[in-house]
Amino acid sequence: MDWLDWLLLVARIVLVFFGLLISVLLYIWFERKVIADLQTRKGPMRAGPRGILVTLADGIKLFFKEGIVPTNADRRVYLLAPVLAMFPGFLAFSTIPFGTGTTLFGRKIPFQLVDLDIGILWVLAMTSIAVYGVVLAGWASGSNYPLLGAVRSTAQMISYEVAMGLSLVAVLMYSGHLSFSEIVAAQDRVWNVVPMFPAFVVYLICGIAETNRPPFDLAEAETELVAGFHTEYSGITFAMFFLGEYVSTVTVAAIGVTLFLGGWRGPAPDFLPALWPFLWFLLKVTLVIYLFVLIRGTLPRVRYDRLMAFGWKVLIPFGLVWVLITGAIVVLPAELELDRGTVLTWAAIALGATLLLSFLPIGRSQRREEVPR
Amino acid sequence: MGPHGSLVSVVAVGLSDYLPILLMAVLAIVFAVASLGASALLRPRRPNRPKLSAYESGNDPVRLPGGERFSVKFYVVAMLFIIFDIETIFLFPWAVTFRQLGLFGLIEMAIFIALVFVAYVYIWKKGGLDWSATPPELMDDEDSDEPAAAGEVSLGAR
Repeated sequence: MDWLDWLLLVARIVLVFFGLLISVLLYIWFERKVIADLQTRKGPMRAGPRGILVTLADGIKLFFKEGIVPTNADRRVYLLAPVLAMFPGFLAFSTIPFGTGTTLFGRKIPFQLVDLDIGILWVLAMTSIAVYGVVLAGWASGSNYPLLGAVRSTAQMISYEVAMGLSLVAVLMYSGHLSFSEIVAAQDRVWNVVPMFPAFVVYLICGIAETNRPPFDLAEAETELVAGFHTEYSGITFAMFFLGEYVSTVTVAAIGVTLFLGGWRGPAPDFLPALWPFLWFLLKVTLVIYLFVLIRGTLPRVRYDRLMAFGWKVLIPFGLVWVLITGAIVVLPAELELDRGTVLTWAAIALGATLLLSFLPIGRSQRREEVPR
Repeated sequence: MGPHGSLVSVVAVGLSDYLPILLMAVLAIVFAVASLGASALLRPRRPNRPKLSAYESGNDPVRLPGGERFSVKFYVVAMLFIIFDIETIFLFPWAVTFRQLGLFGLIEMAIFIALVFVAYVYIWKKGGLDWSATPPELMDDEDSDEPAAAGEVSLGAR
């Protein structure tokens, strides 16, 4: 590597970093606008054209607000937690290909910071690290609501991580690669969302739960826990939790697009070949984010016991069975010389049976709980 | 790396994959620390005792009864998470190679998942996945609206 390589590498990293920051600014504005539309309000209107700079204004305001470290807090951990909550999203995003790449100064510039052989495992590792920010923030605040919120949200995040891992295993089996660029390359004819639709649904649900987004934002159920694990945070430290949450959400959407929706794939005209894959990627990520916002705007918050029951009693058995079904669909036709139709029929029967079995007990307990007082 | 690449250079090449990630982490941490520091210099600092006390809706802060203890359910979830997460990790190497392993690998993994399912059903029947404070076998029809309320309490101190 000579100096030009280094310069290009650093430029790419800085661009991705600030690109993510800007995407968060736009995402928060977009979310507030869409939710305002759903509630027939106008939403932010003051800062910038149609209020597009509202997040920037909020950020600047928070930057100049007094930061409070409560008397009971463990000062060092209390200040470490927001940093820990912020950076896993950025690191997870580093492995995602957001375009085919281009050539600049005679050097190939891939639109991806790094193509790790272990892409999926890396993402799982980063989502695990995100838990530390939450649990340390709650513990270090030395206050009751943050502690309860942190413990709750930790249990929620680790529960849904298992189901997320299972949905990723299914994708992995189907495409046979751990690296994201290979997974995108394997989707040249059909996007994974078609054969892997159940895994896609499981992934989206787990993604929302992992990032503590509504309707799974139990960590900050205002009516019960004030603001959950970041109750005691104010000013810039609060802004960092906010930033971390939204960067993680953008990353979850981007990973979903890469694994299931063909990544940067899309029809491209000959004009500016490097630009179109990037635009397709942006468009798909925006659509997934739009779905997240719609879910947030329409669904009420889930009750905690039902959230955990759904994760453990529906998503995990379903994920396990889906892994086996994927295995059967991929392996059996070749091995036993069955035709694909027979295997698919049996797979559909097995899937239906699992769904039925996993919903039955929950239906029973709901009937028991909903006796009028 | 030439054909005679030593172990050291193999490791170095392998680690150089992570260089952009390392730089990204450095940038993120520098950004975070710089904004913390800059904000600390620029923002007002007017502490007083009520402001610095733990938030408790305006009342004097009270520690949770029993110190910082919370429902045992959370410990159960943590243990179950470790079991099932390790199981998922076992699935990953198989998922990468299962096309080569073929039918053998599929049956092998079916047996593994079936064994885990036995444990899973046992946990479920024991009530390890339930969040109501009362075990299902102790619940009768009179307090049929109890689980929700009891669940809320169990999130607090026990």
